[in-house]
Amino acid sequence: MSMISEALVILRSIKPAGLLVFLAVLISLAAFPLVVESPYAHHIMILIFLSVIMGQSWNILGGYTGQYSVGHAAYFGTGAYTTMMLMQYQQVPPWFGMFAGAATAIAMALIIGSICFRLRGPYFVLASIAAAEILRLSALNTKELTNGAEGILATDIPPLKIGSLVVTDFLTKVPFYYTALVFALLIIAVTCIVQHSKLGFYFQAIREDQDAAHSLGINLNLHKNLSLAISAAFTSLAGSFYAVYIGFIDPTTVLSMDMSVQIVLICIIGGIGTIMGPVVGSLVLVPLSEALRSNLITQGLISAGLVSEESPVGAFLKENLAHAHVLIYGILVVVVILYMPEGVLGFVRNMVRARERSNS
Amino acid sequence: MDSASMQPVLLFLQSLISGILVGGVYALIGIGLTIIFGVMRIINFAHGDIMMIGMYLTFNLFNLFGIDPFASVLICIPLMFLFGGLLQKLFVNRVLNALPQNQILLTIGLGLIMSNTVMLIYTSDYKILTTSYSSGSFKFMGISISEPLAISFIITAVITGLLYWFLMKTDMGQAIRATAQDRQAAQLMGIDVRRMSIISFGLGAALAGTAGALISPTYYIFPQIGSTFTLKAFVITVLGGMGSVIGATLGGILIGIAESLGAVYISSGWKEVLVYMIFLLVLLFKPSGLLGKSRV
Repeated sequence: MSMISEALVILRSIKPAGLLVFLAVLISLAAFPLVVESPYAHHIMILIFLSVIMGQSWNILGGYTGQYSVGHAAYFGTGAYTTMMLMQYQQVPPWFGMFAGAATAIAMALIIGSICFRLRGPYFVLASIAAAEILRLSALNTKELTNGAEGILATDIPPLKIGSLVVTDFLTKVPFYYTALVFALLIIAVTCIVQHSKLGFYFQAIREDQDAAHSLGINLNLHKNLSLAISAAFTSLAGSFYAVYIGFIDPTTVLSMDMSVQIVLICIIGGIGTIMGPVVGSLVLVPLSEALRSNLITQGLISAGLVSEESPVGAFLKENLAHAHVLIYGILVVVVILYMPEGVLGFVRNMVRARERSNS
Repeated sequence: MDSASMQPVLLFLQSLISGILVGGVYALIGIGLTIIFGVMRIINFAHGDIMMIGMYLTFNLFNLFGIDPFASVLICIPLMFLFGGLLQKLFVNRVLNALPQNQILLTIGLGLIMSNTVMLIYTSDYKILTTSYSSGSFKFMGISISEPLAISFIITAVITGLLYWFLMKTDMGQAIRATAQDRQAAQLMGIDVRRMSIISFGLGAALAGTAGALISPTYYIFPQIGSTFTLKAFVITVLGGMGSVIGATLGGILIGIAESLGAVYISSGWKEVLVYMIFLLVLLFKPSGLLGKSRV
């Protein structure tokens, strides 16, 4: 019953204009692969969706519940490894494997949560990092299980069949596009529901003041763990998707602290504790870091005549800038923390408000 | 070193001593972090990356000018002090009153910028600094001791002693300790708290940079080495008690010993897991004694 009434509250809160925009975006996203054929464009869109899933999953725990986990690589890696190991060693297709991955991630979250949620503030952050590092080192050291530092390479993905009808054989990027889109929409929907539900109000109460929430009778441990479980399950789906899409995983990519930090930054840069925050963050971060990675920025500087290709600076940029796409994350987060503490989304919103005020 | 054929007692002593020697450098990193935390209540997530900058500085001084890595400590200390002071003045100062998570994220961002800028300049290749004594060792009562580790331990001990004298006996040291105890009261007593903050961050960076210089003959040098050491520095300071210089010294040596014994008796792959396990256990079971009053 409560689910239905909560859904009604959400429906009532949607404005018609907003709904139209949402539908238009949805239709154009669904039609995108039919109109644009470039696999590279598909690839960028898939990365944006993946980034939305990662950022939004973290948002539920970090943004709404106020628990700054910098160890989400643990759940990303758990999903990636479970799905990949089941697919490569047991021939379990990934669309079943990813649910096993999510279940494993929830189990992992309950263990890690039972330890880390006894701590608060910076100590919680440190404990979450340590937990993820233990997992990374374990994956490195259990060579017989995870193939250690060499990682796991996917040979081929079995075609998805319903009965004898082949739905897709995963040969192009299009099935990945739709899978990622559906996951991204799903996690956005879940965040919407959480935000407007009683559960979400409990989460936000914990974020605002743990002790006050506790004295009002909110079970801190239970709700923090619930928030982490939801967050971990979706983070692990992102990990599973990443593993199957990229086709290769190793501990230093999927379980590293860099991965954890990246997940946090998507949300921080966009705007924390808002539904659109991780979307905005992904739209800023993915194109920027891809432009660096594919040397677009160097090419741009050269063709704009700012840097000559023959000069040592040009050659240096061409050689090295592609390797430093993470640099942009660092610069952005420093700029955001110093100048836009509410993220890009909050910054734009405040600017619009200030303009409206000066006009009226 | 053929550890299998060694006598059990000798093997234990051997790993204990090498643990203590490595622990000395860990202590330097931990003391730096703990001073920054004590004075500003900021956990510096760029600490390991600052240490990495010290490593590259030493590497360049050695390769370009042939300056011995241990002698380069004398150049490293003032340069890294200035670097740290600048970081504090330009960035960290502006988030002193911000939410703790924003402070953490700012230092994470600064660390990312440092490691990626170094990667841009030097690529992510592993660099090795080889000196004539890099793999040298001497025997002491049947126990073989690595030469660079022994020298770095002596330098560490001297620096820690000087630092302790500075904090306890000089006016400025007392001002720093007063700021750490109660920022507002210190300000009311006429202490320039902002200046103390800059000096503390400078000191923290100088200590981390020095640690980087001291380990450069024995470790691979690469841009991403920082994050492991940042984490280790946290473990050390939490183990010793956040903000306590003596605690960090003790914590550093304990972690050095734990790693060394773990490598010998468990396996070198699992030694760091052991360290993080100790960390979680300390966080869980000894929080009041080690973490101050109501900070957890």
